[in-house]
Amino acid sequence: MTLTTAVPVTPAAAKPAPRVGSRGNLRRSPTATVLLLLGAAYCLFPVLWVLIASTKNAGELFSTLTLSPSTHLFDNVRTLSDYRGGLYWRWMLNSALYAGVGAAASMLVSAMAGFALAKYAFPGKSAIFNLILAGVLVPGVLLAVPQYLLLAKVGMTNTYWSVLLPSIISPYGIYLCRIFAAATVPTDVLEAARIDGAGDWRTFGRVALPMMRGGLVTVFLFQFVAIWNNFMLPYIMLGDDHLYPVTVGLSGLLNQGASQPAMYTSVVTGALLSIIPLVALFLALQRYWRVDLAAGAVKA
Amino acid sequence: MRASFSRTRPARPAPYAFLAPALILFAAFLAAPIVYTVYLSLRKVRVKGLGLGAGSRTEVWAGLSNYARSMTDPDWLPSVERIGAYGAIVVPIMLGLALLMALLLDAGRTRVGTFARTAIFLPYAVPAVVASLLWGFLYLPRVSPIVDAMQGAGITPPNFLGSSWVLWAVANIAVWGGTGFNMIVLYTALRAIPSDLFEAARLDGASDIQIALRIKIPIIAPSLVMTCVFSLIATLQVFAEPMTLRPLSNTISTTWTPLMKVFRDAFTRNDIYSAAATSVVIAVASFALSFGFLKIVGARAFSQED
Amino acid sequence: MNKKMTLAGALAAALILTSACGNDDKSDTSQAAGKVELTYWSWAPNMDKVVEGWNTTHPDIHVTVNKQDGGDPAVTKLLTAIKAGSGAPDVMQAEYQKIPTLVSANAVADISKQAGSLKDKFPASAWNSVTLGSDAVYGVPQDTGPMMFFYRSDVFDKLGLQAPKTWDDYAADAKKIHQANAKQYLGTFSANDPGWFTGLAQQAGASWWGVQGDSWSVDINDAATQKVASYWGNLVQQGVVDNKPMYTPEWNAALNDGTQVGWLGAVWGPGVLEGNAAKTKGKWTAALLPQWDTAKTANGNWGGSATSVTAQSKHKDQAAQFIAWLNTDPAALKALAGDSNVYPAANDATSTALTSPPAFFSNQPDFYAIAQQAGQATNPFTYGPDVNVTFSSYNDAFGKAAESKQSSRFTAALTTMQQATITDMKNTGFKLAG
Repeated sequence: MTLTTAVPVTPAAAKPAPRVGSRGNLRRSPTATVLLLLGAAYCLFPVLWVLIASTKNAGELFSTLTLSPSTHLFDNVRTLSDYRGGLYWRWMLNSALYAGVGAAASMLVSAMAGFALAKYAFPGKSAIFNLILAGVLVPGVLLAVPQYLLLAKVGMTNTYWSVLLPSIISPYGIYLCRIFAAATVPTDVLEAARIDGAGDWRTFGRVALPMMRGGLVTVFLFQFVAIWNNFMLPYIMLGDDHLYPVTVGLSGLLNQGASQPAMYTSVVTGALLSIIPLVALFLALQRYWRVDLAAGAVKA
Repeated sequence: MRASFSRTRPARPAPYAFLAPALILFAAFLAAPIVYTVYLSLRKVRVKGLGLGAGSRTEVWAGLSNYARSMTDPDWLPSVERIGAYGAIVVPIMLGLALLMALLLDAGRTRVGTFARTAIFLPYAVPAVVASLLWGFLYLPRVSPIVDAMQGAGITPPNFLGSSWVLWAVANIAVWGGTGFNMIVLYTALRAIPSDLFEAARLDGASDIQIALRIKIPIIAPSLVMTCVFSLIATLQVFAEPMTLRPLSNTISTTWTPLMKVFRDAFTRNDIYSAAATSVVIAVASFALSFGFLKIVGARAFSQED
Repeated sequence: MNKKMTLAGALAAALILTSACGNDDKSDTSQAAGKVELTYWSWAPNMDKVVEGWNTTHPDIHVTVNKQDGGDPAVTKLLTAIKAGSGAPDVMQAEYQKIPTLVSANAVADISKQAGSLKDKFPASAWNSVTLGSDAVYGVPQDTGPMMFFYRSDVFDKLGLQAPKTWDDYAADAKKIHQANAKQYLGTFSANDPGWFTGLAQQAGASWWGVQGDSWSVDINDAATQKVASYWGNLVQQGVVDNKPMYTPEWNAALNDGTQVGWLGAVWGPGVLEGNAAKTKGKWTAALLPQWDTAKTANGNWGGSATSVTAQSKHKDQAAQFIAWLNTDPAALKALAGDSNVYPAANDATSTALTSPPAFFSNQPDFYAIAQQAGQATNPFTYGPDVNVTFSSYNDAFGKAAESKQSSRFTAALTTMQQATITDMKNTGFKLAG
């Protein structure tokens, strides 16, 4: 956890921190420290458990004291890596691909849409915005089956596309981008760019995008996590397990049917390994994690 | 917010071009599936005789019979009541904890802030399926360190997945997974409050608690409202946690929540038509609940800038 | 304008890159002249190794295995693909109880022309499951799951108990074991495993569905099943067997620490025991299920599946050729038993592929002789076209019953199942007798 302290806490470029100096002068509060540590302990406990459990072999997982670590972590990782010729790592790569490409594309699409909704007046704006808002409320789980049936009509199921394309549209991302664009891109700057002769695309790419950068990273992270953790869509869309993301793959290891033992040690080890990339991403980009759900409302 | 910068100009194609990719994807992967779901909810399959052999199965119009069947299913009402109770547990506890942690972080009276913030946010990185698997291990008496510890301390541990605790057991997973995200949202809002708004109060001798209650919380109320709306939506859609825990106990039925009923109808019973009808009802309820809530609190969070 | 091109270009490039990745597995081989590519959905472990034997000897018909998550998800995906009109594999592993569902959804092809002659290679009960008593053939049996009783002989010896011959014996033993050690149970009633309960009902003589002319009969609440339900209800109510589901980490722990000392499993059970409680190897003994009537040995099935050709396959002849090989060729049977750990349905599997006991039961050389006896005693049973409705109703109704520990709730659960099944069948339009 030393890593975290190395990362500066200053909020992203979007807004200057309103108060920096006042922190050091405050008296420390043991109550605050204890409460925060309790919260941290509650959140870390299951993670600690999975860390310990992944060091046990199959027998130990069900027979030894639950919190006493064992020595089989590397054996477990090897068993998992050997499973059907390293399929697990292919699942991890697939997850990285779905989440990485999907989130990047989603960020761009959302940024363009959010920028347009925040900074232009045009007929149909309110209708479009309300439509997208309504999209925020539709559970993704419900959409997976009709999405499958429709994609099957164009023969796109069981491909990378079938998971990527539906992941790109994120009403929530558009909603956030609209807030970020409204809050961080001053209208005069856009006007100035226009007066200088910049076109709409140039203004967006050269002026607005850099200003929205802090918010865009948030949208990227948000969508990355959403895609990485998504289960239902790839579960329905994919038949070939070489295309599975890690969530669907792990669930398959767990649900082998009655005549096969569930591969609990591999699942536990796989679960641990699958969390690591996300945690690393969080720590690396945590200064961008500022989700200003209501910035628009505050300003209004 | 200031007026949009093209207000005074004639209509231009640019905003539509910016919106085009989003709208095309929206149409293809949200609007079309929704319309298709509504269509499916009005259809059903009829079979003839034994229903074996080609051609014995046809799709016909069903009117509203799928809706009627869905809503009169004896499992439907209990599942709706159950998520009501679940929401009444999860939303206040999760948001209460998130707010408390955010205020503690924001007050800046501790050295463990960065560590705690990261730790509390960490569960957000854990997929719900994996989180439920982990907590499942922690709930089952024979493999649970919690039960071990309680027994060691001479306390008779409750049966976490028994009928009187199971709702709390599922709620706990949601609280565990969701507190961090909401904490970050609220913390972001707290950090945006200019310090002069409460430095004066502090000089007048107001305590941190008074500052929090009288100044900070009212200012971040819009963020609280939004976290509340999103938590309510998530409540209606609770699915992965009970679904993963279900095989571990007798107390979680296949229709434990409305979305589980959709899943059962669509995937276990292969009755996609009833599933579609129930989906439509859930979606409509989501709209009603979120907009109803916003209306009640009078928030302008979803309103537009101009 | 320049910027627009770059943005669009980046997006397009990213997507093209990913689509290229999507096709890397199969695109090049299918082009070869005369060569047929088949996809095969199966959840049996190591099926790709078994299929390798086919691919090396049959260069013109190449089979790719797509591993699935088990019977239910595979059927769900297949039915969705059938509904969508594309996306189904050529060959599909199908549990026997799902075959009426698949036939009713027009998801599997009739291969009586290609595979009808294989009839004599399989036990009549297995063959009947793939024909549904008609002239059509909807698949070739792959494996069967005759139920067996596994018990910890060390615990039985210590308490001076004999292996139960009858269900009365089983109840008495369960009582003694639980009295000797309050933590120990001879078994558990699992509300999460409808296939298990169905097998027990089948042994008692139930057959939940039936075909009478052009209508179905549904008989879930019959006397035989009532007998089984009230038997288990009583044991659970007395607290002498556990009421928790099987296949949970809890159950695994109980198998490991010797608090579950018996299991009503099936012939594939050794693999499950080995995977979950490897260190108890050598302490278990396999036997026939306890009997209701010792004069007439009877048994039930839990699990087992056939291999079917899907209705969407464009190469039905080749697919049928492949599944005939897979389920009758001696080399394939050996691989199925050895690599995939299944109990092949073919009659001559016992002599060719099952010559030595499974590793976990190496102390019991007659393991497969007992299994064969269990298989031959298996009662006939007919599955209906909405077995999933019945099974999910089992989960819910018996879940509540097991949690309540009241015997009366167990028999009432059968009424719930019967009603749920009939309501669904009527609603879909199946013709029901009576």
